[in-house]
Amino acid sequence: MEKARVIRPEERIPSVPEKLFLFRSCTGSVEYPGTESAIRETLKLLGIEAVMDPDQTCCSGYLLTCSAHKPEVSLAVTARNLAIAEKKDLDTYTFCNGCFGYISELASILLHNPAYLEMANGIVSKLGYRYEGKTGIYHVQELWYRLKESIAEKVVRPLKGLRVATHNGCHYVARQYGILDDGGYPTFHEKMFEMLGATPVFYKERQLCCGYSVGRGFTHKETMVQPHLYKKFKSAKEAGVELLTTVCPGCNVALDREQPNLNMRYGEEFGIPVIDLAQLIALALGVPIQKLGFGANTTSLDGVLEKLGA
Amino acid sequence: MGHEMELLMGDRTKTVIVIGGGPAGIEAALGIARAGYRALLVEKEPELGGTLNRLYSSFPRWENPRDLLDSKIGELRNCKDVMVMTNSVVTECRQTDAGYDLTVSNAQSGESRNYPVDAAVLATGFDLMDISVYGEYGYGIFPNVLTPLDFETKLKEWSHGEGEKPRSVAFFKCVGSRDRSKGRPYCSKICCMYTAKQAGAVKEMFPESKVYVFYMDYRAAGKDYEEFVRDVIENRHVRYVRGRPAKVLPENGRLLVRAEDTLMGLPVEVVVDLVVLASAVVPRPDTVRLAEMLGAQTDRYGFVEPQKHNPTRAGERVFFAGGCGFAVEAPFAQLQGSAAAAGVIALFNGG
Amino acid sequence: MPRERDVDRTESLYAKVDIYKLVPNLETCLQCGKCAGVCPVANLSPSYNPRQIINDILRGREDRWLKSEEIWRCFWCANCYTLCPMDIPFPLLMMQMRYLAIERGYGLKYFFPFKRFALRAIEDALTFSPAKPEARERIMKLRTAIGLPPWPEVSDKARAEYKALFDMTGATDFLNSITEEQEKPVDLMYLEGRITRGKSEGN
Repeated sequence: MEKARVIRPEERIPSVPEKLFLFRSCTGSVEYPGTESAIRETLKLLGIEAVMDPDQTCCSGYLLTCSAHKPEVSLAVTARNLAIAEKKDLDTYTFCNGCFGYISELASILLHNPAYLEMANGIVSKLGYRYEGKTGIYHVQELWYRLKESIAEKVVRPLKGLRVATHNGCHYVARQYGILDDGGYPTFHEKMFEMLGATPVFYKERQLCCGYSVGRGFTHKETMVQPHLYKKFKSAKEAGVELLTTVCPGCNVALDREQPNLNMRYGEEFGIPVIDLAQLIALALGVPIQKLGFGANTTSLDGVLEKLGA
Repeated sequence: MGHEMELLMGDRTKTVIVIGGGPAGIEAALGIARAGYRALLVEKEPELGGTLNRLYSSFPRWENPRDLLDSKIGELRNCKDVMVMTNSVVTECRQTDAGYDLTVSNAQSGESRNYPVDAAVLATGFDLMDISVYGEYGYGIFPNVLTPLDFETKLKEWSHGEGEKPRSVAFFKCVGSRDRSKGRPYCSKICCMYTAKQAGAVKEMFPESKVYVFYMDYRAAGKDYEEFVRDVIENRHVRYVRGRPAKVLPENGRLLVRAEDTLMGLPVEVVVDLVVLASAVVPRPDTVRLAEMLGAQTDRYGFVEPQKHNPTRAGERVFFAGGCGFAVEAPFAQLQGSAAAAGVIALFNGG
Repeated sequence: MPRERDVDRTESLYAKVDIYKLVPNLETCLQCGKCAGVCPVANLSPSYNPRQIINDILRGREDRWLKSEEIWRCFWCANCYTLCPMDIPFPLLMMQMRYLAIERGYGLKYFFPFKRFALRAIEDALTFSPAKPEARERIMKLRTAIGLPPWPEVSDKARAEYKALFDMTGATDFLNSITEEQEKPVDLMYLEGRITRGKSEGN
């Protein structure tokens, strides 16, 4: 009751960073490299330098929640990755809800449990690292929201009222405290859409999970995930959604690559393309289409791009 | 008005300020005045009655609160030693050796006057928590999600034949109460009863409507209380579902409620026209401000805190009654008002 | 059927599930049902019920869940955690239940796909990078066309250190120790949409 749940962007990111440590997402960089590219281009346009480090490894959160890793190794890996950011004296920005959720949770466990911190530092110190808890952990969606006015000013390709809806994903609002929006009814993505000239659409199953976060897309695809995604897409289609955005490459994989399977199984043509919020922003800010990597998308963006005259 | 003022300021018998003109404050003022002292009854709204003014009906006897208020206002009129000041608030207060020096400002006339008093009774009542933090219930987002006081107004409208007939209504209990995450950890005591009352009232007016109450428990600890709730369930056929709702979503212009029926262990969904959220009872900001000025203790939530072994006294010369101490029903607010008056009388007689 | 004797027990029972001490407040659960109301899995298959799981664990009856198929359905969407009025981190409890199940040999078929991914990830310091050369080709072409380096840059130091962390914490041994032979069959509790006991409890 005492800790603030929802805080304003200025409280979350008091001063806009000039340089930030961009945490590489495994799924993002491999499945949807366009997301990584869009983020880099957008940050360039906003005058922010993105630093990546080849020494950074996978956040090891996904397989932790799939029960393939034990918490000990994930705590140690997190301590090492964050120590890399700390050595550069930069804040860590992820572009995957998964990375954000796992790293935040693991860092929070480390910082609230001295025994775990000692264990993790004991291990990583053998490799020359030490985690102190100095680096802030953010998701780039927070930065976009913080800089929404600057982004709005730089729009050169307004989205002409395109009916865009968000898939918030689960792991950002699940943090609950000290985040930019309410887990019960988040609206800040829709505010971003308005800034870009699109029409935000609230569809009934907006807050439904993508089903892929702990590999249930591998183990329970037909039994659980497909009927579940069908509910989501049915609701989106009924609301007239033309484009879905995500802030997590994992969600993007689920929503984009499952669509043909859903079409086949349920005999419907959903045809709703799914891109990252950063790609949408980059599109509106005039970044050349080739740099946005829409070739990686299974569900084609041709219809949308034609509508926007891009 | 001026004549009364002279009486008050001239003949210097002991004077007590009672802040708040609801059932607690009215009873305190009457008790003090009937014992031979003077009471200033200060009420910030244009009329007396407090929260009771907004209610359509009361539990457990389905009485009209208007009857109680009219009766009490009649008593006040016959009581020459109570000076009623509506549209008024206490803006300044200084503690003195004999009591307090207060400034009362009248919003209607714009005047401010200074009154020296020998004791004070706080009876500022309670407020309802702002439940817009529950984004999952959509208060402030969807138009037909209401607070219980909004709903009492709706009941009054319907009783006059106005407003649209509801096909179904859902009541959620414990919104903001018994919640360590977004609300208050305590139980707000009165919601189980007033929710049963509201649900029963809808069924009375619209027998064909479907009325649901989503609950975790129902607390009917009082005289005639259990029978009241059972009557609502068994005779009026309000459907009680055990499970705190998870979400309210818009569906074709109506509202979809998702919950689990925990007694069956199955998720359930109902479509309703209105959702009423039984919000947690919280103290008013005025209470905290005035308590500080009067030297009364408050607890960590802002409710007035009694002294040890004395449930009606909050400080050396300050007593309290009613909702400003915690959630309470109208008859018990009256009881507490009488107790506060007795406390004041004891104070003035060397107690 | 003999009556339950668990009302006799008074000590804290869930410590044997919460081995990493990540869920200190499980006993604050009011059984309100908000978690089950929002849970996407519970809405698809009513025999999975987070509220019921917490109830059973608090009464020392986690056994039937460890042997069940149901606990492998949780999506970790954490909506239960987001809505819980007591802020109980149910997903962390679920994670620990899955570890216990694996230790006892249940649910291994939901573990093996990730064992394969994990063993590959340890070599790459990157999870889910495809093994097939055609897939790798496609990604490299795409990345080059966008103007990025053909493959995400992961240094040799990163790879070596990632592997070292796995070895040092015993995670590699853990992965290698779970083999097909240990697998025990899981009980499906779903019977006409009601929560029932598993077949193995003689019902």
